[in-house]
Amino acid sequence: MIRRTIEIMGAVAVAVVLVAPSTLAAQSQRTAWGDPDISGYFTTSSVVPLERPRELGEQEFYSPEEAAARAAARLAPREGPPERDRGTRSDVHYDFDQFGLSQFQNEVATNTRTSIVTDPPNGRLPESVDAAVERREARNEARRGHEFDGPENRSLTERCIVWSSTLPPILPGGYNSNMQIFQSPGYVMIQAEMGDPRIIPTDGGEHAAGNLQQWNGVSVGRWEGETLVVETTNFHEQAAWRGSSKNMKVTERITRIDDSTVEYGFTVDDAETWSAPWSGVYPLAAIDGPLYEYACHEGNYGIANILSGQRAEEARQASGQ
Amino acid sequence: MRGIRFSMAVLLSCGLLSMVATTSTSAHHAFATEFDAERPIEFTGTVTRVELINPHSWIHLDVESDDGTVTSWMVEGGSPNALLRRGIDRNTIPIGAELYVDGYGSRDGENKAVGVDMSFADGSPLFFGGTQRDN
Repeated sequence: MIRRTIEIMGAVAVAVVLVAPSTLAAQSQRTAWGDPDISGYFTTSSVVPLERPRELGEQEFYSPEEAAARAAARLAPREGPPERDRGTRSDVHYDFDQFGLSQFQNEVATNTRTSIVTDPPNGRLPESVDAAVERREARNEARRGHEFDGPENRSLTERCIVWSSTLPPILPGGYNSNMQIFQSPGYVMIQAEMGDPRIIPTDGGEHAAGNLQQWNGVSVGRWEGETLVVETTNFHEQAAWRGSSKNMKVTERITRIDDSTVEYGFTVDDAETWSAPWSGVYPLAAIDGPLYEYACHEGNYGIANILSGQRAEEARQASGQ
Repeated sequence: MRGIRFSMAVLLSCGLLSMVATTSTSAHHAFATEFDAERPIEFTGTVTRVELINPHSWIHLDVESDDGTVTSWMVEGGSPNALLRRGIDRNTIPIGAELYVDGYGSRDGENKAVGVDMSFADGSPLFFGGTQRDN
């Protein structure tokens, strides 16, 4: 493993952790009650894309030199003030750098993989089945022309209900891409920084009844050797991850690799959405805690502003202005 | 009230400045649904309240126009979690500090804006960015 720290703008440190792919022996770290210790604070940020660029075919890895060069290019700090296209919609945004939210300003774990998706062998999600396409078109049609009718018509993220990157499978997010794993006897808690905690029994218990729907699904876990295996079902039908159905099943496999790294693997099985199950893996690198409270809903002035802005626009149009 | 300027001439000039390429990153919501690209604002104001909250920070300012009228504005920024991780909290911006804001007003016409470029009035950068201006 190669670890280096880059000092940027004085106070901001970026740690890039380059992890060799699954060749490191699992350490026998144990909790006081004897379970494998996978606990800690981790970054879920990665420069490895979810899906592999098509031109790479079935090439699963870059050379270490290629991977390091790509990570360095991706994480190069911006030079000078932000380039702006004034008076355009794309310019209507705060500066990510200013708030320390850009990826280069934060700790990032990466590796030599060309994609997070490992199966299918081309590193890309399987084709969507017809039923998934029809669901997506029906959703879009129902929303068309009613996007600003009320809060229920806005996205779950905008409403502070759930971010797609914090659902299982937890994936690299745009910012605040961190998570905590906390263990106690018989339970493991997993929390993405911008998500809700999942408190997961590890007794291998039964899944919840089929009619129960939760935004983050309902998770049950078990230990398989050094690996925590978590199966999550009972997703909410509105929390569609890339068009997934409420019957999606996600199996996470979390394994301690070394003192500062946990491997996060997952398989997504949803025959109502994809033509085959698909899997992925990426490393989580340890960071200093704590995880900072997200508490999105309480401060979400934006949702009211968006709707009041649309009402004002409608009033202008009605008055002929 | 401190010596604060709110120049309408400056506001109107924003749309005439140079056009350059830009990149955007996904965020909590599309800011162009909340703020108006055709309502550029630029002012210097006195900080009255700092809300380092999620999903987005808000900084409240009193802004004095050329005729002496004072209006209260609130300016939206980014999620504060990365700031808090680095020891920056709401007290980092003292109440009474003068802050320069270049951004866009809200679509509802209220005194709310997104701060595209924010810095202290002496030109020093706010947090980890902002254009360092010559006074």
